[in-house]
Amino acid sequence: MSPIVLGIETSCDETAVGIVNGRNLLANVISSSVEEHVRFGGVVPEVASRAHLESMQQVINQALLDAKIKISDVDAIAVTAGPGLIGALLVGVSSASGLALALNKPLYGVNHLNAHIAVDTLDSQEEFRPSIGLLVSGGHSSILQINNLVTDVIVKGSTIDDAAGEAFDKMARIMDLGFPGGPLIDQQSKSGNKDLINFPRGLTQGNEIEKHKFDFSFSGLKTAVARYLAQTPNHKKADVAASFQEAVVDVLISKSLLACKESGIDNLVIAGGVAANSRLRELARQRCESAKVELRIPPANLCTDNGAMVAALGSLAINEGVAASEIGISADSAAPVTQVVWK
Amino acid sequence: MSITLAIDTSTSRTSVALIKNNEVLFNKFHDDPIAHGEVLPKLVAQALGIETEIDLVVVGMGPGPFTGLRSGIAFAQSFSFGRGIKWIGVCSLDAMAAGIKESDFLVSTDARRKERFWARYIGSVRDGQPQVSNINELLKLNLPIFSEGDYFPDPVQLAKLAKLNDSITKPIYIRKPDAYPVPKNIKFRIMTNLDLISASAIEKQVYGKSAWSLNQFKEEFSKVPKSAQYLVAELDGGVIGYAGIVFNADVADIHTITVVDSQRRKGIGRELLKRMIDWARSKKADAVMLEMRLGNDKARPLYEQIGFVEVSKRENYYAPGVTAVVMRKELK
Repeated sequence: MSPIVLGIETSCDETAVGIVNGRNLLANVISSSVEEHVRFGGVVPEVASRAHLESMQQVINQALLDAKIKISDVDAIAVTAGPGLIGALLVGVSSASGLALALNKPLYGVNHLNAHIAVDTLDSQEEFRPSIGLLVSGGHSSILQINNLVTDVIVKGSTIDDAAGEAFDKMARIMDLGFPGGPLIDQQSKSGNKDLINFPRGLTQGNEIEKHKFDFSFSGLKTAVARYLAQTPNHKKADVAASFQEAVVDVLISKSLLACKESGIDNLVIAGGVAANSRLRELARQRCESAKVELRIPPANLCTDNGAMVAALGSLAINEGVAASEIGISADSAAPVTQVVWK
Repeated sequence: MSITLAIDTSTSRTSVALIKNNEVLFNKFHDDPIAHGEVLPKLVAQALGIETEIDLVVVGMGPGPFTGLRSGIAFAQSFSFGRGIKWIGVCSLDAMAAGIKESDFLVSTDARRKERFWARYIGSVRDGQPQVSNINELLKLNLPIFSEGDYFPDPVQLAKLAKLNDSITKPIYIRKPDAYPVPKNIKFRIMTNLDLISASAIEKQVYGKSAWSLNQFKEEFSKVPKSAQYLVAELDGGVIGYAGIVFNADVADIHTITVVDSQRRKGIGRELLKRMIDWARSKKADAVMLEMRLGNDKARPLYEQIGFVEVSKRENYYAPGVTAVVMRKELK
């Protein structure tokens, strides 16, 4: 019998609980405090932490109602223990510890980043095959080699400055579009000409490509856009947004496919909040098709932070026979992607 | 029969007690101001080893440093949810005051940032809501003070108080989050040569005799953009403030943050400062430094809040007899 796992996610501004039964998704409830952060132009940790505590019990309860189960039916609790905002993580970890001890069920502290990828296994019949992973979110951008989702993840490269999602947020701020930047730039870009301005593709030229083959850099791009805006008074926002987005997406996909080619792995999985970007999804589909690489991207609503992905990774850990976490795990705001399940 | 699990994480101490009717079955604590999240589950697991059939959870709702406080409340709420039992919230200071035999006194706990959470008790009843203030405010009241360190919220008292009062359902934060809205209608952009005249006019208005002259501005500005960044804040097309930072070797030095008098206290200086620090970070600076005139320290609370600490004083820095206070914020 596959275990029923309840997953809790509070690493940033979403209070989220998901429930899975093995690989079947039973519930996925998200309460976001994003609107409270808009007037601050970014997520305020203390505001997010307060909102997590305020909505946690309701979100857990709603997830149980959606899954049509009782809390006592849950076989294990999984929780994001890092990386993320420490105060926010602690609300989730403490809630999960309380539940696990009350129910006398095992607790799995899991890594938020790996959970983004693990969500792709939900409602899928196929076994996970070794893949190159492109993980792109507000806090992270890396290329991974994933031989096993729980036990064998290698980092091939990462951003050396801003994360891709961060670049979107900053760009939206410079262009006065608002917050969060990802969806706003995606939207603007739809009516713009992506080929109008040839913005720089970071770490793709000359000896940079040698030294930083699978790394990203978005700070030069940011400067280039800011300069363009200042020097071009009659610019169309949609064109700038589309050209910026194209520059980001182009580099992300080119380097991922290079990693596939070099390692002889013909599976690419793209995950994380930025994987919800419509142009990234479109271009990845085109390029993977011509490169004969099989592409997997979770549905857009499971790419942004959610509890289902945490439950999914917990479920995979149980399936792999990984030991549950000890009582009293520490949240780790800077946990590396190689730390998948907390000891 | 009733068995109560009582928890408090509102101070540097994490306390857990298990009380059966009036008998204390378990009462343990651990002192660590930043480990409530790890310690609490371990203590509760020990308590559960003694007795597992719990029918009420009582938790201290603060006031207390937010992160630790929330760990206790989140844990208590989820534990009671998992068991399908009730939870009751109690003011933590009340549980600290409960054992004290005085007729009029103060109870105080560490609120960080050189402040105290406190409440006054007259005849063992709390006088008003818990408050947060500087220690000097408490001393002025000239009453006996019972402070964290010698005293802590007692979980056994917490359980007793839960039977006497209505449950407090929200954490007692008192302080608002340190969040400031981005100033509206104000644009921040890179300073250009065309802004120098407006900037030096503001400089004169704000600093009088010790203001930089236009020439000094030009000289300073000739470094831009090599190792420096200068920004202006603009309202309706007019410059209302500016800031500049220069990066040398491994430390970035903020040379100026200036806002016209009429636009003060609107978060413009804060936003400029934030952008200066962001720039220093992007240059991978180890630290950001700034100098401030001694005696003109209106901005000091802002700097301290953002993490600057005083590292030294330089006499006769601005002019004979005018001392500068040097502040530094580590970025690594």
